[in-house]
Amino acid sequence: MKNINVLSTLLALSIFTNFVFLSEVNIYTSRHYDSDVMLYESFTELTGIKVNIISSKSQALIERLRSEGSNSPADIFITVDAGNLWKAQNYGLFRRINSKKINEIVPKNLRGENNEWIALAKRSRVIFYNKDIYSKADLQGLSYKDLSSPKWKNKIAIRSSNNLYNQSLVASMIAKYGESYTENWAKGLVENFARKPQGNDRAQIIAVANNEADLAIANSYYLGLMLSGKKGEKQLNAGKKVSILFPSQNEEGAHINISGAGIIKSSKNYDNAIKFLEFMLSEQAQKHLVENTYEYPINKNVEPSALISQFGLNFKENISKVSEFGKFNSAALKLMDRVGWQ
Amino acid sequence: MALLNQLLKNMFRFAPLIFLIILITPLVLVLLSLFGEYNDNWNHLYNYVLPNYVVNSILLILGVSVLSTILGVGTAWLMTNFDFANKSWLEWAVILPLAVPPYILAYTFTGLFDSYGSANELVKTLFTLDENYAFFPNVRNIFGAIIVFAFTLYPYIYLTTRMAFINQSRSLIEAGKLLGFNNWALFFRLAVPLVRPALIAGLALVIMETLSDFGAVEHFAVQTFTTGIFRTWFGMYDLNTAMQLSSILMIFIVFFILIERYERNRMSFTYAGSTFKKTSKKKLRGFKSLCAFVFCFSPLFIGFILPIIELTNWAIFYPSEYFFSMNILNSLFNTATMGLIAGIICTIFALFINFLNRFGGGNFLKLSSQFLSLGYALPGLVLAVGIIQFFSLIDNNFSKYFLGFSLVGSLLGLLLAYIIKAYALANNTIESGFQRISNSIDDVSLSLNGSKLKIFYKVHMPLMKTSIFTSLLLVISEVIKELPATLILRPFNFDTLAVTTYIYAAEERMYEAASPAIMIVLTGLIPIIFLSQLIRDSRPGKS
Amino acid sequence: MKRDLLVLKNISFEYESDKEILSEINLSLKEGEIIGILGPSGIGKSSLLRLITGLEKPKTGEIFYNNETLCGEKIFVPPNKRGIGLVLQEKALFPHLNSLENVKFGLRGSKASKEAQAIKFLKLLKAEKFAKTYPNSLSGGEQQRVAIARALAPEPKTVLLDEPFSSLDTDLRRDLRNDTRDLFKETNTSSIIVTHELEEAKVFCDRIYKLENANIEEIF
Repeated sequence: MKNINVLSTLLALSIFTNFVFLSEVNIYTSRHYDSDVMLYESFTELTGIKVNIISSKSQALIERLRSEGSNSPADIFITVDAGNLWKAQNYGLFRRINSKKINEIVPKNLRGENNEWIALAKRSRVIFYNKDIYSKADLQGLSYKDLSSPKWKNKIAIRSSNNLYNQSLVASMIAKYGESYTENWAKGLVENFARKPQGNDRAQIIAVANNEADLAIANSYYLGLMLSGKKGEKQLNAGKKVSILFPSQNEEGAHINISGAGIIKSSKNYDNAIKFLEFMLSEQAQKHLVENTYEYPINKNVEPSALISQFGLNFKENISKVSEFGKFNSAALKLMDRVGWQ
Repeated sequence: MALLNQLLKNMFRFAPLIFLIILITPLVLVLLSLFGEYNDNWNHLYNYVLPNYVVNSILLILGVSVLSTILGVGTAWLMTNFDFANKSWLEWAVILPLAVPPYILAYTFTGLFDSYGSANELVKTLFTLDENYAFFPNVRNIFGAIIVFAFTLYPYIYLTTRMAFINQSRSLIEAGKLLGFNNWALFFRLAVPLVRPALIAGLALVIMETLSDFGAVEHFAVQTFTTGIFRTWFGMYDLNTAMQLSSILMIFIVFFILIERYERNRMSFTYAGSTFKKTSKKKLRGFKSLCAFVFCFSPLFIGFILPIIELTNWAIFYPSEYFFSMNILNSLFNTATMGLIAGIICTIFALFINFLNRFGGGNFLKLSSQFLSLGYALPGLVLAVGIIQFFSLIDNNFSKYFLGFSLVGSLLGLLLAYIIKAYALANNTIESGFQRISNSIDDVSLSLNGSKLKIFYKVHMPLMKTSIFTSLLLVISEVIKELPATLILRPFNFDTLAVTTYIYAAEERMYEAASPAIMIVLTGLIPIIFLSQLIRDSRPGKS
Repeated sequence: MKRDLLVLKNISFEYESDKEILSEINLSLKEGEIIGILGPSGIGKSSLLRLITGLEKPKTGEIFYNNETLCGEKIFVPPNKRGIGLVLQEKALFPHLNSLENVKFGLRGSKASKEAQAIKFLKLLKAEKFAKTYPNSLSGGEQQRVAIARALAPEPKTVLLDEPFSSLDTDLRRDLRNDTRDLFKETNTSSIIVTHELEEAKVFCDRIYKLENANIEEIF
């Protein structure tokens, strides 16, 4: 008798909760941090809106969104790198984000021209060096341009040109200095490679820690991840050996890229989507984000994690529009092919 | 009653055709891009990267073919003709590398053989060498890729040629011996030519799997067609050119398939009528036994044991609460279910098609069946796009009015992708199985007043039991390992083990990748173990 | 008095099943002689032939051939070195080669001489018509002729035949039998033939043994 009571209560509860959770938001995301899942759960607790996720490679998601067209169930597309956001925008996938709250938090250069998308977090593509070999003073004022100088021959580790972060970096160079200059620069850079591009960003940092290269170009947050110990002892030890130099401080500033999101044009849950984005920019969410991923927050009231702040906080950021990255991405790739950056 | 019979008869004639059309359409949509516009990215491709893709692809094919043939045929030959130390378990264990998809072996290779990988660390500690010394050569190049593919794919060749060696009447070898040839001479002059069709069938599978891989070549920074397609698509944002590149890849594959068909037709002798003789296998002793053992054990070690060791190494370093997380168990369930469904559909379909072909099903059927086998070689990602475009067509014109749900993003798309991808495996297996049934059996049965359908149920099916089972297992294996198409096509909240592994490993979060990777290997083992059981039961002497 | 070419001394043989198939067999074959071994199916006649050619090893006993020990205490000469031909019951023609190539398979020497020799024997067995045909297109009788030609072409001193005429009808059987016997006698080839038909053995052979209960005795 008692069991039937329990059972029927559970049954009723489940039906009830289904109705309660009828409100939902569907997200296609290329971010794959386990810590994000906790964020989504917090959002649901706060608002009662259920969050459905598909995670995949950004390009795959964009293709899927294109093919699905107006039949797509997606409400939000989250991705890393402004190049991807630009691409999605170019395919007409996004709908304008109308939210005063969001506009107040996110600076204009970190949004689409017409608010097609917004930044959720920042990262910088910086130079890593081995503390045993160089001091901060040694590398003072080092710029991206300097990296093609012969003095760095066989000393630079950077990943393949297949990677979007590199493409965006080169795209930003093209945007600022033009294609001809950038091609020469890239040629010099390639000649300075310590080895054929292989592995991901972290592999480049580890190469510097192991003296296989003098300088590595990689995203800032990786050092936070390595030092957190979450990735094992080897990475922790490697992380302890290196430090970050923010490039081009005497010029345009360090290259900035973003994790960002946009609302899909055919979204059927526009209001929920807005609520979600506002949530992601709230102090609570931003704090959680940066504490786990070591990116830099968008919300000015939030401090980045101590592990990454220790390397410098108020560095000069390149404030050119990240929307340029996508525009020049194709040219950047072809340029990298021409100079033999594999 | 007669009406029902008539209906059934017609259904059997048309149903396969309809299935074929459904399965072929995505491939056709991809090929159609060849007749569309060619933009100026082609100029760039042609001048800077296309030659690389072609050269690397050719090198890969050559290297992998040679190495996997040596491994596959060598082990098959040794196992069917000799007894040596530990052979009884080696005989089936040698196919275990099939459970390790190439991308997982690639990840473990770098984990072991990178300059600060575990293997080098071990050597350094054992021999107290300098910190900067790297004993093992760099694997992140085309040689590393060749080794990875050869050592995970040689079991295909082992399986096909072993069956051929066994089915080879023992008396053929004996006849050869009686004519004065020793074992080595017989191997080259007799055994190899006789298993050539089987060898080529296995080799075709190996090459197709090599050319359509993305994970391993990307990881080793080897520029091939697949990485080129991805790059053109996602880097240059040019899906059209990417589809055109894929079509070229498909044509490349067609070339190989044609060679394989030509070979098989040249030697269309059936193996029927072979009597298993209880002949004693030559026992090897001492040094020879050791050599044979080492030769057969090495591929098993490199292709299976070594990656398992490294994966376990990683798993140990990672907090155990994530190892059996809900996420991973879900992935496991999803993977198994999809595998089973796809396996059943593929096998049934292959049976129908080959049965119809056997009785002269007409050229369209034959050609489209072979065309469908191309699906195996198509990079999963492009296959996925073909399917999405296909489904979108249907959705926009049809589903809205009649179905009430959209096909795009449903499990159907994923299932369709698996079927297209794995059909070649089912087809090859079933086709080989049918070939082993002598045509004279059909003639006899027909003359005994059996209808064609009756022959199928009462004669073919029992004789095909092994092939059916093998086909099922191979398809399931393939589904477990499939990656790119799954990434695109899967519905909400639906991950497979492969997807989970890739997402971690692509970020070189190797420790986290360990758990799903190990599961892929373990679940992949189950069909392999069944396969090995079949091997044990098919030993010479047991009829 | 013709000399003993092949001698079996106290040969015993068993399968793994521990049941002795052949028990202390003694047998001799003279040069140029054709002997028959008779007995019902499954009794071990084929095993006897396989022992002589070295495809199986006896449990005990010795085999001498042409004044050499083929098989004894410490000696075992492998089948490919014994120079004794055997036409297997299954014929075992190589399916990927045509008749001519099958016959050429065991020959040595220049391409031209191999070709000539092969054609010669195909003609002798009246099989030259299907020299270019593949085995799976030949009838049982035709395959049989090719199989015999293949065994004879290297011109071994001794040829063993395991139920060579079993898959033929009476007329063909008689023709082939006569052709083969004539050929053997002409070339002075010694031969042992296994059959289960007494009448056939009487016509074909000079002497006949009978195999029964793992023992052998001369009956004719």
